[in-house]
Amino acid sequence: MPKNNQNFCGSPEHGVSRRGFLGAATAASAATFAADMTVLDALKNPVLAGELKKQQKHVIVLWLAGGASQLETWDPKPGRPTGGPFRPIQTSVSGIEISELLPKMAARMGDTAIIRSLNTRIGDHGGGSRLMSLGRRPDPVVNLPEMGAVVARELGRADSQVPDFVTFYSSTEGRGNAVGMPGFLGARYAPMFLTENSVPNNLRAQKTITEVDHQDRAALRQLLAQRFSRGRNSGIVASHNSAYQRVRGLMASEKLFDVAQEPAAVRATYGPTQFGEQCLIARRLIEAGVPFVKVGRAWWDSHGQNFETHQELCADLDHSMATLLDDLKQRGLLENTLVLTMAEFGRTPNINGSLGRDHFANAWSVSLSGCGIKGGSVYGKTDENGNTVADGQIDAPDLFATIYKALGIDHEKHYQIGARPIPLVDFGAKVVKEVLA
Amino acid sequence: MTSDPSKLKKTKEWSTSNILFSMERVAGTSRLFFGSSDFKMYEIDMAAEKPEPVAFNGEGHQSYVTGVGLAADSIVSGSYDGRLIWWNAEKKEQTRAVDAHAKWIRGVFVAPDKQTVVSIADDMVAKVWDAQSGELKHTLVDHKPMTPHHYPSMLYGATFSPDGKLLATADKVGHIVIWETDSGKKVTELEAPGMYTWDPKQRRHSIGGIRSVAFSPDGKLLAAGGIGKIGNIDHLGGPSRVEVFDWKAGKRLHTLEDNKLKGLVEQICFHESGKWFLAAGGDHGGFVSFYETASGKAIKQEKAPMHVHEFAFDESYETLYTVGHGKIAVWELREKEDGPVEAPVPA
Repeated sequence: MPKNNQNFCGSPEHGVSRRGFLGAATAASAATFAADMTVLDALKNPVLAGELKKQQKHVIVLWLAGGASQLETWDPKPGRPTGGPFRPIQTSVSGIEISELLPKMAARMGDTAIIRSLNTRIGDHGGGSRLMSLGRRPDPVVNLPEMGAVVARELGRADSQVPDFVTFYSSTEGRGNAVGMPGFLGARYAPMFLTENSVPNNLRAQKTITEVDHQDRAALRQLLAQRFSRGRNSGIVASHNSAYQRVRGLMASEKLFDVAQEPAAVRATYGPTQFGEQCLIARRLIEAGVPFVKVGRAWWDSHGQNFETHQELCADLDHSMATLLDDLKQRGLLENTLVLTMAEFGRTPNINGSLGRDHFANAWSVSLSGCGIKGGSVYGKTDENGNTVADGQIDAPDLFATIYKALGIDHEKHYQIGARPIPLVDFGAKVVKEVLA
Repeated sequence: MTSDPSKLKKTKEWSTSNILFSMERVAGTSRLFFGSSDFKMYEIDMAAEKPEPVAFNGEGHQSYVTGVGLAADSIVSGSYDGRLIWWNAEKKEQTRAVDAHAKWIRGVFVAPDKQTVVSIADDMVAKVWDAQSGELKHTLVDHKPMTPHHYPSMLYGATFSPDGKLLATADKVGHIVIWETDSGKKVTELEAPGMYTWDPKQRRHSIGGIRSVAFSPDGKLLAAGGIGKIGNIDHLGGPSRVEVFDWKAGKRLHTLEDNKLKGLVEQICFHESGKWFLAAGGDHGGFVSFYETASGKAIKQEKAPMHVHEFAFDESYETLYTVGHGKIAVWELREKEDGPVEAPVPA
């Protein structure tokens, strides 16, 4: 498989140098790891942490499950019949207005780009969710990987001691649509999927099993797996084994999910909501080298009482996202971390009898902040009532090409599945250069 | 002739592309002043063969107009823009504007003597104003700004007692406060938590709240309207709900839930006899439900042609005017003596 990224990820020299660096760091720490698995937190090694900060790219997706309204977030239509009651507010970037429900984000528009011209056409939760996770329509033959798996594959490290791809989805509604889709990349790139708690269940070794027992069991599993693999040239089997090889590292990463490790003042800054807490954990994971974290915040499906729902959920989004951006920036991580707000679709401009808005995929918005992004830019335009895209229409593949480009991943590369080349994004997808730095 | 809810019939409809949130009827007439989602105030005469709304003049509001009251010699409107505007009713011109609240104004209510106005808003305070001078007399603070789940709360409902001496306010989580109008002192409080649904697991947000309160004509009872517990909070798919309290005793007399006509009870009004009351509101559609006060039994329930946001009776309680999502409807509560029901009038 070609690996030809445009920054460190694609630079052979850079890659070798980095792998060497990480390999040395890992070897040097091996004895310590054997004695105490909990010290794998990469932040404990300032040299390693510094290297990570400088080089590795990351993604945090704030997934607004159920479909947030573009009119109450990034594309207000003041004074129009469809506009709703909220007013637009001036952002820190002259000429850009967003909904008054996002005052903290308005003050941070210098780090954020808005795309207001998505027409993805699919207006059901399952289909929209698959589209906006895969970046394209599902293939009838090939099981495609979602963005998190691709980013984990492209930006993750083979010798990583932390997860490559973590998804939080605590609400039950829509959870079935949030299940990871590593596709043909295999289980190695499946997400660590957290639902009930913000800390992974069953990560700790059972107290009834000694360290020696644990190692013996791992050795036995490896022996059996090797036998099974003999004569089988299967990427899925290899990926499965690779995932097991990483178990001990993942077991050691538990502390990354523990917000009690953060100073009380930092926890207070993120606020009391679960979404805020998970954004804080996302920052901790990114800081430790996790390439891709998706924080699902459900459920925005406001068929009734759209405005009340957005008053609640936008307050949560605005505070948590603004705090996350500030925190990443203060730690020097924002320039290498792409923070996205995405959903399966937006919401209808029409306001129904329950003062709700329904599903709408024909003209909606996403935001992109940080890594590779031209902050303070707006791409695309909807008509005066927000019913159609008036300018700069794009579809999911174009958005994904733009995201990969921002991360330095060559969106035109392909994976070879048998005789068939599978591109990272659909052929013909166009990068939205206007939002890139 | 006396009003009889069992004879309820819709007699006229007028349609608009706007959402009509608030309304007052001019005494002795079919003229209505209403506030709209196009940020404007209008007057319309529903007795006209083809009713035509007339917009008020001037700058007006900058968001949905959600409260209208007929005070001493003015109309007072309130809006989600946080402003109260006093209007000259005849000229339809603005005479005073006040930045009254930091958040959405949910309603404007006028005391029976027309000398006092109260506004309620999502800054969770009720403000009592002198209707003539516009002077702020009291700021009533008791409703909590945040829900127990750390989200902004909302102050939806208020009403004066028939003698004007008391004022009740009610919020999203079901907290009701009764105040002395003149002193601004808190008299007592009631709780109706069944009106608030917090979904901690499936969808992790909330819906509902007390949307309306009304005193009985003798001032002894207080009715609160809203919506009961909702399974799927994506929609207003919960039972319309009214709770009737003997407020002095702090005792709940009735809990009336209707799973057939679902949605929010946006307004409640007692008949002057106190024998029955009307609760109206809706979900995607609307309803008007008449209940017997003593027993809590439904007397008459009808679907409305739209989600009803506000209504008004005439002096005899024989004619009912409802405004809401895209429509005004006129209803009669008596046998019609002359001719068939009129056809709907297009906008």
